[in-house]
Amino acid sequence: MSPKPKVQVAREHLTKAQDEATGGDPRDALQWGFASLEAAIDALAAARGIAIDEKHWKRTEAARSLHATGVLPKDLSDLHRSLNEARKAVFYDGEDPDLGEVSIEDVLSDVEDAVVAAEAEAT
Amino acid sequence: MTTVTRKWKQPAPVRGALSEMDVADAGVWTDRLRFDRARAARNQPSELAAITATVEARSRDAGAHALILSGSTARARRTRVSDLDYHVIGGRPEIGHPAEDVDLYCDDAKSFMAKLRSGDDLVHWSVWYGCILFDDGVVQSAATHVASHDGWPDATRKVRQAQSALSFTERIVDSGDRGAALEQVRGVLSLTARWLLLAHDVFPLSRDELSDQVLDLGCSDLAAALHRSMHCEPELDELATGVRLVKHLTSLPAARARRARLPSLTTTAD
Repeated sequence: MSPKPKVQVAREHLTKAQDEATGGDPRDALQWGFASLEAAIDALAAARGIAIDEKHWKRTEAARSLHATGVLPKDLSDLHRSLNEARKAVFYDGEDPDLGEVSIEDVLSDVEDAVVAAEAEAT
Repeated sequence: MTTVTRKWKQPAPVRGALSEMDVADAGVWTDRLRFDRARAARNQPSELAAITATVEARSRDAGAHALILSGSTARARRTRVSDLDYHVIGGRPEIGHPAEDVDLYCDDAKSFMAKLRSGDDLVHWSVWYGCILFDDGVVQSAATHVASHDGWPDATRKVRQAQSALSFTERIVDSGDRGAALEQVRGVLSLTARWLLLAHDVFPLSRDELSDQVLDLGCSDLAAALHRSMHCEPELDELATGVRLVKHLTSLPAARARRARLPSLTTTAD
């Protein structure tokens, strides 16, 4: 088994999240969506020399900075933080995701923006 | 016959240890709060202490009953993967955007006690080993309940958590995303360790202490896998082996899992 480039796993995770969101397990949809967003942020941050060090809070900060510098069309830092909280509740408590008033489809649409940005840079 | 003492000391990580102190006594509890304050100060470098000061101020402002610094920081066992964990008994305070991975668990007083009685290990952890930064009496009541009712976390809850997380963990390892896979595998290994320890009347301490604790139980494969997941950089094949180990152990009763090994395991402790 070999590790894959972040931009590739970001897309593959997103596809799994979308599959789970349409008739699969909402908990897995959230976990794949979060993993996809993290991979996309990692790819974009690496290209700019932003250190992530496997820290979630640094990814949150990177999401904010990537928006401020025009790389991401939207500031996804709050989304990243809330997905991180929600996936921990899923992992430890087996809870269904609580995304407040936002739907998983809206979440995945925002995640896709980050994935598309990472893909555009990779090509 | 158990002798009940009137002085606070950190309880040994074994069932019944909290009953050895008179935690209902005001002097003992004051002693604990003083002890915990000193421990929290000792265990935090200035940048973490500053975050804690903010969390404490905001929790007090929000009218919280208690605030507990928990996890690896409370135990002085932080690693490169440690979060900064707090347990607030009260509403969630707004703490801004700290430069650290902060986990803020919040329970109102009623649900805190209900979770304690139902064997929630996180609540028990706070009561047994957390650094209590302030307490209006709710944590002392919880400790008194544990001491007088032989309160103990529910081991089966941990094995259920491990089992339910396995399917996603296996898929993320297969996905080739090594970073996400490592975090996920570390999580299921920890859940499995906590299950085995609780089932054998040992209180699971912080994550970095679990490998030594399960090694003392006789679970050498699990100990090695846990240690490497925190201190080394295991590749995907090794993480897949970790998943198989958890699958194997959690398929057995705790008494058998304690001594079980995975026949084809190739992981080596460093």
